[in-house]
Amino acid sequence: MTTFGFLIKSMFRRKLLVSLSMLSLTTAFLLFILLRSVAVLFSGDFASVSDVRMQTASKYAIILLLPHSYGEEIAAVEGVRDITFASWFGGVFKEGDDSAMTFAVDPSTYFEVHENYQISSEHLDAFLELRTAAVAPEAIMDRYDLEVGQKVPVTSSIFPTANGEPWTFDLVGTYSSKNEVEADYLPFLFHYEYLKEATGVSDVGWYTFTIEDPEKASEIAQIIDSKFENTADATKTMTESEAMKNWMSQIGDIGLMMNGIIGAVFFTMLLLTANTMIHSYRQRIPDLAVLKTLGFSNNKVAGIMLFESLLFCTTSAAVGIGVATLALNGIGPFLPVGFVLAVTGPTLIWGASIALGLGLVIGLVPAISANRLVIVNALHTK
Amino acid sequence: MALVNLERVWKSYKKGRDHVEVLNDISFRANSRDFVALMGPSGSGKTTMLNLIGGLDRPTSGVVTVNDLVLNNLSSGKLARWRSESIGFVFQFYNLLPVFSARQNVELPLLLTKLGRKQRKKNAALALDIVGLSDRARHTPARLSGGQQQRVAIARAIVADPKILVCDEPTGDLDRSTAIEILRLLQVLNQEHDKTIIMVTHDPKAAEYAKRTMLLDKGKLVSSLLQPKVGAEAEA
Ligand SMILES: Nc1ncnc2c1ncn2[C@@H]1O[C@H](COP(=O)(O)OP(=O)(O)O)[C@@H](O)[C@H]1O
Ligand SMILES: [Mg+2]
Repeated sequence: MTTFGFLIKSMFRRKLLVSLSMLSLTTAFLLFILLRSVAVLFSGDFASVSDVRMQTASKYAIILLLPHSYGEEIAAVEGVRDITFASWFGGVFKEGDDSAMTFAVDPSTYFEVHENYQISSEHLDAFLELRTAAVAPEAIMDRYDLEVGQKVPVTSSIFPTANGEPWTFDLVGTYSSKNEVEADYLPFLFHYEYLKEATGVSDVGWYTFTIEDPEKASEIAQIIDSKFENTADATKTMTESEAMKNWMSQIGDIGLMMNGIIGAVFFTMLLLTANTMIHSYRQRIPDLAVLKTLGFSNNKVAGIMLFESLLFCTTSAAVGIGVATLALNGIGPFLPVGFVLAVTGPTLIWGASIALGLGLVIGLVPAISANRLVIVNALHTK
Repeated sequence: MALVNLERVWKSYKKGRDHVEVLNDISFRANSRDFVALMGPSGSGKTTMLNLIGGLDRPTSGVVTVNDLVLNNLSSGKLARWRSESIGFVFQFYNLLPVFSARQNVELPLLLTKLGRKQRKKNAALALDIVGLSDRARHTPARLSGGQQQRVAIARAIVADPKILVCDEPTGDLDRSTAIEILRLLQVLNQEHDKTIIMVTHDPKAAEYAKRTMLLDKGKLVSSLLQPKVGAEAEA
């Protein structure tokens, strides 16, 4: 028998109780990872978004449209360099799927403003040339098995066609971002003109423009927003990173809620496992007294209890996190484009810290009690 | 100096506000290879005296010296270490750990030594062989009879080869014939393996297996008598 074998075996003195507690703690860690990953998604760190690019959208909601005339007025503001616009189309590529990011844009300016996007001149020319043309990022091509050159049927609940048939776009090219992190968030792009012609809309979703000096961002934002302040279509102008944060914060409350749930789960776990540990300690007082009699020192006996609770928590955490990772990998392909669920480094560090912290906290009382256990009293009360 | 030496030992326990005097001025010695039976009514302090000799407890006053070492002043850590090397304990209710097999129970004290895993296993097997339980090595205590469990406990007590065995009513839970087997085993350990044994017992028949008997009454040693030659020779 090895010392480790000895420790493991004594831990499972009550197999059912310990196994069940371990199972619930494992489940807690599984939940923790799943919820954390969603929370991380919601408060995503969009390192790619730029401070040089700004966005003007409706003050009230990003889905409200702005008049086409705003474009010229914004372009006229000092410090504004290139400007483009886009509209949310909400395209559905496969029946039953959620909508994927699909924007109606002005191809001649869109790639100028989004300097971080990469498109070959061949594909860009093809895009500019044909009114029904579209370009797609790799993530969407992969997901829906698209190939350059094919016709892509897309339905939209925002812009349904008169006869209910899908829209058809000619996929003429593909594009990517210099920033890999962004790869999964790139939209499918097609001509705004085509949309306008088919539906008669003349308003646009939002304007995106670059500025000469990022330092002037808030100043410019103020100038633009005050221009439209007293109209029916008041605006809100932000740098792209602010806009992203703003958008995220609307769902950020969910993240907060999830952290709350996680907290509650672990608090319950703390009580449950502490109870198991103390129970297990009480049951083992005679055994511990025997070990002390045989010459195990106070610290060794305390160490046994602490080791157990640490092993108990870290094993549960490892299994829970492992299962969660597998589960997330399994869920991945079924998520709408643009959504990534992954176990991140910080989540792992959190998980490990919680496991160690929990192990120390619930092991402390049994360990101290074991240390102080007086042999003659323990044997006497038997 | 005698192997075990109690010099004017007093012991009292606190019970609420009162002090219960358990041992009053005990002086006692036992030489190497002695086999002492300690008798006396329930509550007379036999277990307490045994605990002092085994280094499980400290006297309120007086000096306990075992193998030239004064136990009074040892730190609890040193005392633990000393116990693991010098004393084997046998209890009335065997006190085996239920999840471990017989051999693993016997091996427990060796986890505190520098011996490697293989050597530990070997020594444990040897100790089980000495008590005649080799064929039960893999059984857990629940699958052993009382007498067999006590043998495992004795194997555990001798596995680290201590000089002294302290036994607290080792036959108290056993029927007559099983008790006799255990007592014979203790005799063998005393005579052939040179163990010094201090054994508490209620049973005058059991005491006959010892070389001498001490009587304890209300915390005082009242007599010490050499055993007439019963025990091993008489039975054998
Ligand atoms: N750990 C202890 N705490 C308090 N009182 C004790 C303790 N151990 C023994 N006693 C008391 O000391 C007296 C003698 O006990 P003990 O030595 O166990 O007697 P014996 O073994 O002869 O039956 C009893 O009155 C008992 O209640
Ligand atoms: Mg007693």
